[in-house]
Amino acid sequence: MQTMTLSQTCVIAILQAIAVVIFIFVVVPLTTFAERKVIGYVQDRLGTTRVAGGRTGLTGALNRGMWSLGKVPVFSILRGLPVFIGDIIKLLVKEDIIPDKADRAIFMVAPAVSMIASVVVFAAISFYPGALFTFPRFVPIVGGLPFAGFLTDMNVGLLFILGVASVGVYGIVLGAWASNSKFPLLGGLRSAAQIVSYEVPLTLSLMVPVVLAGSLNFNEMTRRVATGMPIWAVPLLFVGFFIYFTCGFAETNRVPFDMPEAENELVAGFHTEYSGMRFGFFYLAEYINMIVASALASAFFLGGPFLLPFGLQSFVPASTPIIGGPSIIWYLLKIFFLLFTFIWVRATIPRYRYDQIMAIAWKYLIPFTLVDLVLAAAIRFTMP
Amino acid sequence: MFKNEEMEINMGPQHPSTHGVLRLKLKLDGEVVTSCRPEIGYLHRGVEKICENKTFFQGQVWTDRMDYTSAVANNLGWAEAVEKLFGVTVPRRAQYVRTLLNEFNRISSHLLWLATHALDIGAMTVFLYAFREREAILDLFEAFCGARLTTTAFRIGGLREDLPPGFEKLARAFVARFPDCIDEYETLLTENRIWKKRTIGVGPLGAEDAIAMGVTGPVLRAAGVAYDIRKAFPYAAYAEMDFEVPTRPEADTYARYLVRMAELRQSHRIIQQCLDGLPEGPVMAKLPKVLKAEVNEIYHPTECPKGELGYYLVGEKGSANPYRFHVRGPSFINLQALPMMVKGSLVADVIATIGTLDVVLGEIDR
Repeated sequence: MQTMTLSQTCVIAILQAIAVVIFIFVVVPLTTFAERKVIGYVQDRLGTTRVAGGRTGLTGALNRGMWSLGKVPVFSILRGLPVFIGDIIKLLVKEDIIPDKADRAIFMVAPAVSMIASVVVFAAISFYPGALFTFPRFVPIVGGLPFAGFLTDMNVGLLFILGVASVGVYGIVLGAWASNSKFPLLGGLRSAAQIVSYEVPLTLSLMVPVVLAGSLNFNEMTRRVATGMPIWAVPLLFVGFFIYFTCGFAETNRVPFDMPEAENELVAGFHTEYSGMRFGFFYLAEYINMIVASALASAFFLGGPFLLPFGLQSFVPASTPIIGGPSIIWYLLKIFFLLFTFIWVRATIPRYRYDQIMAIAWKYLIPFTLVDLVLAAAIRFTMP
Repeated sequence: MFKNEEMEINMGPQHPSTHGVLRLKLKLDGEVVTSCRPEIGYLHRGVEKICENKTFFQGQVWTDRMDYTSAVANNLGWAEAVEKLFGVTVPRRAQYVRTLLNEFNRISSHLLWLATHALDIGAMTVFLYAFREREAILDLFEAFCGARLTTTAFRIGGLREDLPPGFEKLARAFVARFPDCIDEYETLLTENRIWKKRTIGVGPLGAEDAIAMGVTGPVLRAAGVAYDIRKAFPYAAYAEMDFEVPTRPEADTYARYLVRMAELRQSHRIIQQCLDGLPEGPVMAKLPKVLKAEVNEIYHPTECPKGELGYYLVGEKGSANPYRFHVRGPSFINLQALPMMVKGSLVADVIATIGTLDVVLGEIDR
């Protein structure tokens, strides 16, 4: 690999950062759109249909030709897609209310804390272990250099992710406390207890692939967990996945663990007093956290860019065409499937009660993860 | 250095799941409720007093607006109470049609309860499934009397009009598919672990307490007391119907859920019998133009979907208005049990308990 000058490194890093931010802000609106549509279809209705329905609007412009041919246009199933643009405009132009008795400084900073914590995590997430493409020669400064599928390749990647992600709860707790109102206070206390409790089984379940792979580097872990596992590791990764994903629901405050914002009990939970884009930040943070949880689960348990999950890829020779090597397509498909699962679960099951949620974490998840972890360590001991 | 304080919190009148404008003054120790005091009256219109200044015919319109989710049942109680007061006999066909619509109303009211109760506990899909069927029932009401919610369905002495042509076909189509719909709701909830965890043992109200509080309806029957006015003091055509009164011994939220689901099936049975045995004949009794009461008083209980709905009417000699009108509303009296049921439970259980009592604020505040 050729050495890069400082300016080349900077330009590539900036371009990669922009690509990741674009990815986030494309996937988040698509997830909100999917949420409306998927829940709609689960509930025997159409979901959003009002924006750009047929001959008018944004997709209407694309569809007009097909309508004139007398055919139902391709975009008609995506009716309502531009609603997210409306959402963003609405959040941006809404009056930003700060309650009189609120602690102004903290009230204003809290949503940013949540948002930043969830975005920064992407610095250590790797979408593809290698170069996605090489810049053509004629591009100034960076011509001929590779554009990697990850931002940084730090050797403590997972540690960084866990550390940064756990800062997000401060946004919720501080925002709730600074609101100086009773329903947010209850929501904030609930979320502090819940997220701190679930951090334990979440981290422990991530230790299973760490122990099995013997590395904290994101790319190394993904590759070793996917391709270098003995057959006994498969059930352990399977169990680990379910524990991790369950905790993921709790960490992202999704049904059935959406205590902090349990709408029917606490009005809107910790963000009751927030409006406008400050509320939007909490909302975005929740969806970005969903992407993070899905990305980590796909990478460490479902084989990441390799096709087969739970280490089963180890039994497919790397020379097999198409499914043998890594591909960013597999990784994105897995992320999208897990995002779909978040929505699917929300439409299907009721909400646990606060004390039941705590009981699940401490009585069931933590002991199970510990057993899983000990077995993983034993397997690691027998591995060459 | 530290001191423990109880937090006083106002749940409502603006709150997503207090089913209207109910306000609860809760005292919380952490998340545990130490005291609960319902505050009502935000929707008070003075229905009872207004009805005293209206004729008996006009009064019925106001009964729609009490428990607006079971307007037909309210109308039936009013019509029968007034008929009792004047000794009017209603033709048999009208009795059957009234029973039929009353049971449709029971289904629609229970579906609304199921929808909101499940939504309160977080199962949002049941909400739309239940509303799908409720919509069909409201269409039936619309076909019968032109209104969907505030029906004013009956007239004193019978019905204004017979069933419209095509009504029976619509009703039979609904009856044919409804059992599958109940099964569908039950697959989502009855054996759902989270649903059971959230409802079993929540909001207990034993038979003795329930009777002492005057609680009636499904809440009482879920405590093991088989008291149903349709059986105890049959009215309309219920004496000729074959149905059971479902009860459960557990007296908790889950038992109330099971009782109401069983009642849906029983209502379906009654509707089927009404449709099959619908007699021919007139639907309106001969009445004088203006009803004049002899001094007389009457209390007429009916089994509203929520419990015992009693109308107390005092007639005045030579007057077309009631001298005194009083309603024994099931929601109002069932709500009294709420503080007792939620004491010592968690905030989330308060929501589940309000849902399981199935209160409608329009009737509580009147």
